[in-house]
Amino acid sequence: MITVGESTWQNYKETKHSKPLPLKGIRVLEVCTLLLGPSGPGFLSRLGAEVIKCEMPPLGDTLRSLVPFGYWFREDQPTSLIRPNPNKYWLGLDLHKPEGQKLFLELAAQADIIEENLRPGVMERWNIGYRQIREINPRIIYISKTGFGQWGQYARENRPSNDGAAQAMSGYAWMSRFPGQPPLKNRLYICDSYGALLGEVAVLAALHYRDRTGKGQYIELSQSETIMRTMSWVWPYQQITGKTAMPAGNRDVSICPADTFRCADDTFVAIAAPDTEEFRGLCTAMGRPELADDPRFKDHLTRLQEENATEILGIIAEWARTRTAEEIEGLADKYGFVASRVYTIKDVLENEHSRERGFVKELDDPLIGEFLDYEFPVMMTRTPPRVLWTVRPVGFDNEYVLTHILGKTESEIRQLYERGAVGKWAEIRGRRPPPDWDGKAGLIMVRPE
Amino acid sequence: MTEMEQPWEEWIRERDDPRIARTRPEALDDITVLDLSYKSFAGCYCSSLLAEFGAEVLRIEPPEGDFIRKCTPYGILYKGEGLNYLSEGRNKFHITLNLKKPEAREILKGLAAQADVLIETYPPGVMDEWGVGYEVLKEINPRLIFASITAYGQFGPMSHRWGADYDNVIQARSGNQYDNGEMLPEGKTYDECPWAVPTKAGPWIGWAQAGTFMAVGILAALHWRELTGEGQALDLASAESYASLEDWAAIWYQGAGIVSERFGSLNIGGWLYCFAPTRDGAVFLGGLRLEMWQAFADMLGKWDEWGAANWTDLADFSAKEEQLKWAERVFAETRKYTNEELVRMSVEYAKKGRLAPITPVVAPVCSPWEAMHDPNWIDRGIFTPVEDPVYGEIIVAQAQYKLTETPPRVKWVCRPVGYDNEYIYLKYMGFGPRKLKKLKEAGII
Repeated sequence: MITVGESTWQNYKETKHSKPLPLKGIRVLEVCTLLLGPSGPGFLSRLGAEVIKCEMPPLGDTLRSLVPFGYWFREDQPTSLIRPNPNKYWLGLDLHKPEGQKLFLELAAQADIIEENLRPGVMERWNIGYRQIREINPRIIYISKTGFGQWGQYARENRPSNDGAAQAMSGYAWMSRFPGQPPLKNRLYICDSYGALLGEVAVLAALHYRDRTGKGQYIELSQSETIMRTMSWVWPYQQITGKTAMPAGNRDVSICPADTFRCADDTFVAIAAPDTEEFRGLCTAMGRPELADDPRFKDHLTRLQEENATEILGIIAEWARTRTAEEIEGLADKYGFVASRVYTIKDVLENEHSRERGFVKELDDPLIGEFLDYEFPVMMTRTPPRVLWTVRPVGFDNEYVLTHILGKTESEIRQLYERGAVGKWAEIRGRRPPPDWDGKAGLIMVRPE
Repeated sequence: MTEMEQPWEEWIRERDDPRIARTRPEALDDITVLDLSYKSFAGCYCSSLLAEFGAEVLRIEPPEGDFIRKCTPYGILYKGEGLNYLSEGRNKFHITLNLKKPEAREILKGLAAQADVLIETYPPGVMDEWGVGYEVLKEINPRLIFASITAYGQFGPMSHRWGADYDNVIQARSGNQYDNGEMLPEGKTYDECPWAVPTKAGPWIGWAQAGTFMAVGILAALHWRELTGEGQALDLASAESYASLEDWAAIWYQGAGIVSERFGSLNIGGWLYCFAPTRDGAVFLGGLRLEMWQAFADMLGKWDEWGAANWTDLADFSAKEEQLKWAERVFAETRKYTNEELVRMSVEYAKKGRLAPITPVVAPVCSPWEAMHDPNWIDRGIFTPVEDPVYGEIIVAQAQYKLTETPPRVKWVCRPVGYDNEYIYLKYMGFGPRKLKKLKEAGII
């Protein structure tokens, strides 16, 4: 077989930093906290957009406080803030103050995209709502991401929300569990991360429209609604059968066989073998080739029927208990079905394949040091996305933004600090630089004394 | 009344209610997309996201139809169609082309010459073997954006490993299944608790996220093309993209050497953030700021008993043992109330509580049936039935974002295999009925 890897993707990892970025020249203002908000601009910044993250000094993004079981990366860095916030410029801006709002408007006049995830109406109270911004910049693309959108009963009640609420109200968590067990909250903040990602589809579609027409626009999304979009068969199934879509544990009720099985060594393996060839391969691997011709399993639609699916999955489960996950992976390659052991986070980071592709990437951050991060997962031959640097203390890049982008003089900047329109970090963990910081590393411009 | 005087909620609804979507322009109606997805919902989902914004998507299937049409819950078909595909054929023109035949590949080249985007999900090397890989098509059309979604990607040591790209395997290989699910109760075995195992999530989230990432990549590439005229090739490995939606486990492992393990419906990433049992079901509780956790204690009448006034740092509650201890106390309280009561208590607390307007997040855990009948989502147009010319009234999720200038819309939900052959082959290739008949007879279309 001729392989594309050899020509199209040759030296992709090695040469990516010598190529341009697709969103070069696009400026984004972020007024966001936690994940639904910041993750969106975080995707754009990996694609080369210049993202200015506005945080309320001195504490900034609430996500700075949330760390796994109380673990702070390298003593006091905000563990959970690192991955969603690469390549950003960190501005400590107090939007409660008129001077802070004025600064924001100056930035907005030269921005392409604004992203916010505050409750409906807050941005307007601060005089930086869509209706106010479009007066000074009609080309602006402005997205608001919330639990319930900008209108409707729940928005009107001003209900707070977050990822877990969206998992609950969408039916997503109710579905994602074993039958007879209580609803299971997914351990990912999937409605945040996925919601933010889907939001960027709208933002970039709007950018394309603006490229064509010069017109900006306003976008709103709700994190419950975005996850509902992914739930495919559930809605027509309920409409057509008049029944509630039911949970099925690890079994995929639309693909058969497709399930996760316990192996001999109490590890787990996911197997899928739905098409004729794959199914025959699996049966042969199990030493039961006759099953492929069994009338109960003769084609995919027949196998999917409840009784037949239960039967074949039971047979596979029994077999899997006698093999290790590694053996089953080997048999899958040999006999032509699909299987993978269930990877731990260690497996993902140490995966040779992803390292070679540059998806798992060694980062050397001037402020917090070396670590492995994930690259934006779409690789692009002409404009490779990339992570360059990561999280910074609150207000770390104030001087860069004020001097370089807004052209403020040193005395003007001093005044902004005195009035509290801009500010820097509090000397507490999650906000401040690492303890061994030399006062310079990572700074683009030094604060005037 | 000036525009600014009109209440925001009213002003914005007048401009972005999905009910007026059809009167607005479409963002991508200048774009033609070829979708060659094969056994992959990720590709179909990706082209749907573009089609909702008006892209002309030519969905190209083999003459017998794509296998994905037969991936449907419990084997149920509706008017001959699988229910997943019924939801994701939206706005696409469906044509057939038998790429195993050389003549079909020439036709594909003709289509690619006129297209902006091509989406494909064949194992790496297949398109090249057929002579319609990126290196060939870019000579025909240098502006083409050629997007591949596969299990392992187009390059790297495992890229030629055999195998299709199935949702449950994506989830397993992403790292996101391993630490999702219920904890094994102490002293129990998997045989006694077969549900306390690594658990996958959602109907096809592994595929949906992959398709969405690729849509973002395609649109970024499209912007670049507007600036430079240059097309390019795009490559995504589905398990990598799902892995990248995780936020802290990789950093935690590198810093602390700890492999993240299952923690049920609690949250390793902080307190208060969990599902809690109630008298009639379960609710989600969220209080990721100290004041919200205090407000929650207060709302339950536990301000004094739990000493909430003396709490100073939410981080004091985030260790595993602390969470388990507090979860037990909290659940004992939430079991006294119904979902509805707890939700109301939180809304009321925002008005009159000691810490108002601060209030905890309380959300009922709904079945998808309840979600589909929730007047709030119906009002917002999420479940407005689509009037499909072939399939009749069908409910699919839509209007997932609302835009003032170029709102997305679903014009039709699906089409049978080859439904649009006549129109599309005439429009793009100039094939009249006689030529089409010949191509069909030759097994090419």
